[in-house]
Amino acid sequence: MKKQQGQGQYVHKRTTQQTMAQVWKCRWLYLMLLPVIVYFIVFKYVPMYGITIAFQDYNIFKGMFGSKWWGFTTFQKVFADANFWSAIKNTLVLNLMTLAINFPLTIIVSLMLNEVAGMKFKKLTQSVLYLPHFISWVVVAGIATNLFTQNDGTINNIISSMGGSKIPFLSSEGWWMFTYVILQVWKEIGWGTIIYLAALTGVDESLYEAAYLDGATNLQRIWYITLPMIKSVVVTMLILQISKMMTIGLDAPLLLGNDKVMGVSEVISTYIYRIGIVRAKYSDATAIGLFQSLVNIAILVLADWFAKLIGEEGII
Amino acid sequence: MAQEATSTMNKKKNKFTIGKFLNYFFLTVLAFICLYPFLNVVAYSFSGYNAVLSGKVTFYPIDISLTAYQTIMKNSQIWSAMWVTIFTTIMGTLIGLILTIAAAYALSRDYLPGKGLLSGLILFTMYFSGGIIPTFLVVKGLGMYDSLTSLFIPQAVNVFNFIVMRTFFRQLPTELEEAARIDGANEMQILFKIILPLSIPIIATIGLFYAVNYWNSYFDALIYITSPDKFTLQLRLRNLLFADELANAGGNGEGIGTQVMSQSLKMCCVVVATLPIICVYPWLQKYFVKGVMLGSVKG
Repeated sequence: MKKQQGQGQYVHKRTTQQTMAQVWKCRWLYLMLLPVIVYFIVFKYVPMYGITIAFQDYNIFKGMFGSKWWGFTTFQKVFADANFWSAIKNTLVLNLMTLAINFPLTIIVSLMLNEVAGMKFKKLTQSVLYLPHFISWVVVAGIATNLFTQNDGTINNIISSMGGSKIPFLSSEGWWMFTYVILQVWKEIGWGTIIYLAALTGVDESLYEAAYLDGATNLQRIWYITLPMIKSVVVTMLILQISKMMTIGLDAPLLLGNDKVMGVSEVISTYIYRIGIVRAKYSDATAIGLFQSLVNIAILVLADWFAKLIGEEGII
Repeated sequence: MAQEATSTMNKKKNKFTIGKFLNYFFLTVLAFICLYPFLNVVAYSFSGYNAVLSGKVTFYPIDISLTAYQTIMKNSQIWSAMWVTIFTTIMGTLIGLILTIAAAYALSRDYLPGKGLLSGLILFTMYFSGGIIPTFLVVKGLGMYDSLTSLFIPQAVNVFNFIVMRTFFRQLPTELEEAARIDGANEMQILFKIILPLSIPIIATIGLFYAVNYWNSYFDALIYITSPDKFTLQLRLRNLLFADELANAGGNGEGIGTQVMSQSLKMCCVVVATLPIICVYPWLQKYFVKGVMLGSVKG
C-alpha cells in the first residue's frame, strides 16, 4: 500500500497516518533543513522578539527580560526629536532625487544599447557599464574623494586650470546631494539595464518589420513599438523602486557624509547607527527601526495592491 | 515577404545615420565615464609625491614611482586585513552555499509536508526584520562580539540567493530523478549524484554572489570587531582613506593615531582592494547576469 503511493503524488485529505509516513520518508530533507531553520530562528526571529526593547527602559545589565516596561514612552521621545524627522526627510529626498534621475536614464541607456547592431561593441560597453556595481562603497567613496575634494580633487584641479572657481562637491549641502546622486547613478545605471535588455530581446521582430514597411523612422519605432512592449516591466520596476522609498543602505551616506553636510546626509539607517551603535541608546534605535519596518511594509502592501489594480503582476 | 523585409532591415541597420552615430558616441562617452575613475585611481597610485601634490595627475601617472606599492607591500596591517578578508570570504561563501543548497533543495520538493510553512518562515524575513540593534544584541549575547565568526555567521543565508536557487531546482527536469528513485536511490544520493552535477552554473553564480558580498562588506566588521588585528580589508581601507576625517570626528577605534597618508598611498590601497574583483570580473559578469534573470522570475 505504502509503496504503491509513490512520492510526488498528491492525495487529497490524507489521513494523519499517511502524512506521518510521508514525513518519515522525507526525514533526510528535514535533516538538511534543520541547520537553516536554526539559523533563521536564532539570527532573524530572536531579534524580532528583541524588538520588545523598544517598549522598555532597556538596561544592558538587566537584559531583555529584566528591563522595566514603559509602553510607548520611547516612541514619544523619538517622535519629539527633530533629528528623527530630518532623517526621514533626507531619506525620502535622496531616494526621490536618485529615482527621478536614475529611472528614466536607465531606460534610455537600455534602449540605446538595444539599438547597437555591432555585438562586440555592445558586449564591451555592457561589461564596462556593469563594472561599478561590483565595487564596494568604501572604494567608491575613496575614489569620489579623490575626484571631488574641494582643495585638490581632480575635477576641481581641472576646473581651476580652466579658470573656473572650485566647487565644494562634498562640503556644501546642495552640491553634496548632487554628488551623491551622480555616484548612485554611476554605480548602478549599467546594472539596472539588465532587466530591460532581457525584456527588449523578447520583443517580436515581426513588429519591427511591419513598422519598417509602414515607413516608420527609428524614433517612431522606439516610441510606438519598443516602449509599449516593455511597458509592463517599466511599471513593475517603478513600483518596486517606490516601495523602497523609506530605505537607503547605510554604506553610501555614511561613507560620503561628513560633518558639514550632516543636515542632508543623515538618513534613517545612519541615524539608527549613530544612535544605537555609537551612542548605545538601544531602545531608541530599535524603536526607530521598528517604525521604519512598519512604514516599509505599509508602502509595500500599498504598492502591491496598486500594481494589481492596474493589471500588473504583484510584487510581494 | 517577411524575409525580404528582414534583409532590407538589415541593410538599413548597416547604413550610416546621424542617429546611429550619436548613439555610439553617447554610449562611448558613458563607458568612458564609468571607466575614468578607475584610470584616475591607478594614475594616482603610480605617480610621484610632488606630481600628486601639485595636482597635475588626471589620466596617466606622472613621474612614475613605485614607492606607494613598496610601502603597501611592507605594511603588515594591510596584509593581516587581507588575510582576514580572504578567510571570511571563503568561510562565508562555503557556509552560505551549503545552507542555501540544503534549504533550496529541500523546499523545492513538492512532496515535502510543511514546505509552505517553512518557505514562508524564510521569505518573511525579507519583509520584516528585528533591525540592527536587536541583531547586534543577539550576536553579542552569543559571545561572537569581536570574533571573526561574527563576520560570516549572522549573515550566512541570503534570502534572495535562496529564491534564485529554489527557482533553479524547481525547473530541473524530473525524469532522471524519478529513474534514480525507482532504482532505490535515497534523497542524499539524488542530491549529490543527480541534482548537484546539473547545478554547477547556479552554484557558481550563488557562490560568486556570496563571495563578492563578503569581499566588499565592511559594516559587520565596523559594528562587531574592535581588535585592529581582526579588521577586514574594507574596514581598514575606510579607516585609512578617511583617517583625517575620522580623527577630527573622534570616530571609531584607531582613527586617531593613524598617520595621514599621502594621496597616492591611499589610491594604491584602493587598487589593492579592488584588484581581486577586477581579476574575476569576466566570470562575475557572466554568472551575475544569469542570476539576476533567475531571481526576477518569482518563486
